[in-house]
Amino acid sequence: MKTFAVLQLAGCAGCEVSLLNADEWMGGYRLAYMPLVISAHDVPEVDLLLVSGGVRNEEDLYNLRRAAPQAGKVVAIGTCAISGGVASLGDRDDVREVFLADRERHHVPHLLPKCRPIDAVVPVDQYLPGCPPTPELFMALLTEPPGFKTGAIVCVECRRKKLKDMRPSRFAGFQRGEVEPDICLINQGFLCIGSSTRGGCRAPCPRAGHPCVGCRGPSDSLIEKESAVWMSSIRRVISGLTDIPAAEIDHELRSPHLSLFLFQFSDYSSPGRTPRPKEKVM
Amino acid sequence: MPALTFPLSRIEGHARVVIDIEGDTVTSASFQCTEFRGFKHLVQGVPAEQMTVIVPRICGVCSTAHHIASVKALEDAFGIEPPPLACRLRELLLLGQLIQSQATSLFIFTMPDRLGTSSIFDPVQEKDQDERSQLASRALAVRRVGTHLITVAGGQFIHPVKAVVGGMTSGIEPDAAAALSHELAAQLPQACELFDLYIRKSLELSDRIGTWGDDAPAYYLSAVSDSLPNYDGDDIRLLGPDGSVSTFSARSHRDYLTYEQPDYSYSGRTSYRGEALRANSLARVNLTESMGTPLADGYLKRFRAAFGRPAHAILLFDLARGIELVYAIERAIQILATPLNEEDTDIPYTPRDGEGYGLVEAPRGPLIHHYVIKDGLVADAEFVIPTVHNIKSIERALMVAARRYITGKRIDMELEHAVGRVVRAFDPCIACATH
Repeated sequence: MKTFAVLQLAGCAGCEVSLLNADEWMGGYRLAYMPLVISAHDVPEVDLLLVSGGVRNEEDLYNLRRAAPQAGKVVAIGTCAISGGVASLGDRDDVREVFLADRERHHVPHLLPKCRPIDAVVPVDQYLPGCPPTPELFMALLTEPPGFKTGAIVCVECRRKKLKDMRPSRFAGFQRGEVEPDICLINQGFLCIGSSTRGGCRAPCPRAGHPCVGCRGPSDSLIEKESAVWMSSIRRVISGLTDIPAAEIDHELRSPHLSLFLFQFSDYSSPGRTPRPKEKVM
Repeated sequence: MPALTFPLSRIEGHARVVIDIEGDTVTSASFQCTEFRGFKHLVQGVPAEQMTVIVPRICGVCSTAHHIASVKALEDAFGIEPPPLACRLRELLLLGQLIQSQATSLFIFTMPDRLGTSSIFDPVQEKDQDERSQLASRALAVRRVGTHLITVAGGQFIHPVKAVVGGMTSGIEPDAAAALSHELAAQLPQACELFDLYIRKSLELSDRIGTWGDDAPAYYLSAVSDSLPNYDGDDIRLLGPDGSVSTFSARSHRDYLTYEQPDYSYSGRTSYRGEALRANSLARVNLTESMGTPLADGYLKRFRAAFGRPAHAILLFDLARGIELVYAIERAIQILATPLNEEDTDIPYTPRDGEGYGLVEAPRGPLIHHYVIKDGLVADAEFVIPTVHNIKSIERALMVAARRYITGKRIDMELEHAVGRVVRAFDPCIACATH
């Protein structure tokens, strides 16, 4: 039987909780290490190592460096491990100053200056983005069902209708209560970025009436391009479905400055970083 | 001065226990949380209305509680009240969270301590097949019904999105409610069966080790009401060792609770006038008259007959979790039998600057979100986390265990197991505690 391990770095355990909802692996794999559910103190040799969470402190760095060589294949799981995730909001200079200021006071693992994705530390064979990836995606990763295919972008899986004649002239705000069922959230004035976001999640958020915040990162057609291309693609979609002035769209895209997952665009496109090849991203 | 360090597993997040010994005396026991992401700081400057989807990421286990606490804090700041249907839907969300969290704690985190295994996924020995057949998949199935409840009521089960300022994005269609109710009803006997096994194994454990753990009286803290466990509570209640109860609002928590920041941990630590506090399942069961659902009340009656009220021994936290698991499934079935799509789920509102508090009773105890909003952006945020209230009590119980198993120059190897049992009884969540 093949073995796998789950190493949790700085994260919320949401990826692990999602994995626990996908228990079909139990027949085909032995879970050798996952501190959340097993008492075992070291990562043994395994076929597959799933790493969740970003590299936030010295202990994360040490644990990741020690575990990776034990594995036949390393998979980065979830937005934090791939592009820093929500913790990257702490990488803004003004915030960093505040919360790195007192780090020497603690007799605890020291924080690193920035929260880093795991491929900045060890080679990664595969990426499974999502905050968190759905149980279905975990199952696909572990059981590799033949012919498994996902929608290219979130819109394809959302299936809300895009209308030509329902054109708001301004944004409705971040989210406002009850929404029209079956009609595209952009037509209803919401800043939804499902059109540029990788599919595969089955669009739970926009289908439930909440704009897509882009947790699965860029779609295949955008993943190897710089963030400006990404932004202009979102802008073009919103202009096509609304009469909102271009300046206002730009302002909205920038005004929630770096919040939600828009910040991860910069990680995917930092200068000097080799783009993650789309073949490696689930 | 020698120190014993115990890494911890089968809890949420990164923590360790350090016990200091001087000569042959245990001098201290500390519970050290070793992770930190800095949510209090990193949400500064974020548009306030986005908090409802950012803060669930504090913790993937407790995300629903953060989601709703956040919505309530914003509603408090904007001066609005959601319609009654939205409150019912939010109660469902919190019940889903409770099922998921208590089933995880009982069957995945602490059941192995009762069975003497390293995890619930260990292969089952031939002689144990009768009682433990398919244990892991049965436990995961009970847990999963909680996540399905969160998915239907909240849109996404790890980081839900459907609770929004002013209400919920939609109700639940009758078909979906009926299917979910059916699934809950199917898992209810399963949950009881697993809990019965858990009770039997806990009795065997307490016989073997000769104790239910630290049983000195303590202060108990909870946001549930005195008649029924309403998890969407409005006030916090504090039960003293003398039986007195004080009630205070989230807004005035600093008048009652004292916070300190030890050097050895990224988590803070709360006390009531220097005394240890306890939150979580045992606090709720001690502070609530009855559960209000038939099977859960049956368990509660047996629990009180055996251990009294208030009950104090720490391994009773685990048993109280089982009572709540049964309650949450029963209560969810009751709510799903009412119409959930016939009224408005939200009210219109206008955002404004100001200050807001949001309180919910999370699985680990009362959770408060407090935001200060300027120009529509978060100018300051405070997260008052239930696990933090328990840290002093965890350390007190660890001292009791350490003194029991460290005698003279001898350390009983049972100590390592005892440390795990003590910590897991409080089911601490480190991602939340340090945020």
